Amino acid sequence: MTSRPFLGAFVAPATLCALAFVAALAAVMQYSLRAYVPGSLEPGGFTLANFAALMKPLYARVFLDTVWICFLTALFTLIIGYPLAYALVHARNVALKSVILVIAVTPLFLGEVVRTYSWIVVLGNNGFLNSMLLKAGLIGAPVQFMFTEFAVVTALVHVTLPVMVIMLAAALSHIDRDYERAAASLGAGPIRVFLTVTLPLSTPGIIAGVTTAFAWTFSAFATPQLIGGGRVNMVSNLVYQLGFASFNFPFAASLSVAGLVLTFAVLALMRAAAAPLEKIGPH
Amino acid sequence: MKRICMALAALALVLTPMQASAQDKLVVSVWGGSWRDMVDNLIGKKFTAATGVPVEYITGGTIDRLNKEKLAKGNPESDITFTTSHVGWLYANDGLYEQLDLAKVANAKNLVAQAKISPYHIGTWAYVYTIGYRPDLIKGAAFESWADLWRPEVKGKLAAPDFDPSHLIVVAALLSGGDAATWEKGQAKLKELKPSFKAFYTNDANSQQLIANGETPIQVILSMNAHYMAGEGVPIELVIPKEGAVLGIDTVAIMKGSKKAELAYKFINVALDPQVQAEVAKFKKGSPVVLDAKLDPAIAKLPGVFTSVDQWNKQAIIIDHKLRAEKTAEWRKWFAENIMN
Repeated sequence: MTSRPFLGAFVAPATLCALAFVAALAAVMQYSLRAYVPGSLEPGGFTLANFAALMKPLYARVFLDTVWICFLTALFTLIIGYPLAYALVHARNVALKSVILVIAVTPLFLGEVVRTYSWIVVLGNNGFLNSMLLKAGLIGAPVQFMFTEFAVVTALVHVTLPVMVIMLAAALSHIDRDYERAAASLGAGPIRVFLTVTLPLSTPGIIAGVTTAFAWTFSAFATPQLIGGGRVNMVSNLVYQLGFASFNFPFAASLSVAGLVLTFAVLALMRAAAAPLEKIGPH
Repeated sequence: MKRICMALAALALVLTPMQASAQDKLVVSVWGGSWRDMVDNLIGKKFTAATGVPVEYITGGTIDRLNKEKLAKGNPESDITFTTSHVGWLYANDGLYEQLDLAKVANAKNLVAQAKISPYHIGTWAYVYTIGYRPDLIKGAAFESWADLWRPEVKGKLAAPDFDPSHLIVVAALLSGGDAATWEKGQAKLKELKPSFKAFYTNDANSQQLIANGETPIQVILSMNAHYMAGEGVPIELVIPKEGAVLGIDTVAIMKGSKKAELAYKFINVALDPQVQAEVAKFKKGSPVVLDAKLDPAIAKLPGVFTSVDQWNKQAIIIDHKLRAEKTAEWRKWFAENIMN
């Protein structure tokens, strides 16, 4: 048995952090079960009214919209991120590698708000995209991109892409290139090598990337808030709108708890669905 | 042991001046960015010049600062807090404010009646939320009444704040024969406005961007934002409807438990100084709250800048600040459920 003399010293701070998180979560849970008192900062007695209020179709729709937007974001991030990660790992030219890395990772160095505002400039009625389409004669009048689900997903894909690329690149770089060479030496073409060797072996990275992108998007706030313009709402926007902007912290807490439960439920479903695929990946 | 004692002595030496300086400063809680800079440049520096006491600022959003002070109840982080009039009532209701003795604020003698919000907080400057539009994008438009927002040509062009629907809720109630207390009377009227909304803005920057790029050429807009954008060259027409514009007042109060109440009164007195008030009005394009402030005529003539009792009485729709604090959550929820989603 290996001796771990510093285990306690390392585990203690982590335990303290975990306890702080648990305490914060307990406070949110406690708030979600308290009544809102108009005009006061202090919550009232214990009640289930906040959760009962969540049963309205409006909230169900926003929760479903959130799951749908997260799904689309994860899907498109994977579709765009995989070729980028593949090129990043397989490119031999250092300059090309650097360019791909800069394209893929630069968004991480900009704040979410800055990235989101730049998308408003691109997608607005007088924005870059509409101007280009008008000049090209493809449209006769500006297309309404802003305040649509399309715009929100587009901006969220941009925000999420670096995370996906980093995770996929890590997975792809761990694939033993000898497997691909062996397949090629046995007569498989590049596409067949990719489809039968590289893609299956990168499955753990895909699952990890999609799961992270999904969970990451679930908590998105600034992007749907600014690009959605109140017309496309996610759970975090509802928490802000109905909780913090109106001082109704108990209801905001109940929305947060419901959002957390939904996140866990969806991630558990995704894990169950991906379990058979995970067996393909290990090598 | 000797080393520990030396370390403690060194620590004591380092901390002693810090403690001393902490006692000799006034701590002011205010919004960040241009608000903090304005308070510092126009009020703080003048206060320091008069008293020799430096001012330290705690900045943050309205709700963040409210939460922090709630947690620090009895031992406040700041001596003075700036916040909006109705949020000030939340502080007051929670026992976070000291009751004001206006006899200690000489410049408060000319305070307009509308700025005397409660026994705990008073106004420092004012603004309105009203109709602002782009005449270059809405050809031939003329908005003389709030009712004009319901015209068919507004459909799909309007934006309003997502953080506070009280302006439109009260306006709809007034147009339906009600008022803030009987706001339900305006629900049907406000639902008729639903097709007119194109978006809801989330902050000042968002509002400015959406009207500057023409995305939402009509807004229920903060007058200060409209004047700022006009100064940047964006053609914006700001309207004071015949029913009046919805008044907003930012207030100041002394925190309960502050050990520097006397200094805090002096700070408030500087804030209400007529010359300081005129400078604040010029910087933010808002209304002074003392009637003896002498404004630059170019500022005084701006829509939403009130300089006379008559203007305060006739051009402002005032939502009872305490009622607004109590109703905000209900209004916000109704608006989100019935208008935004």
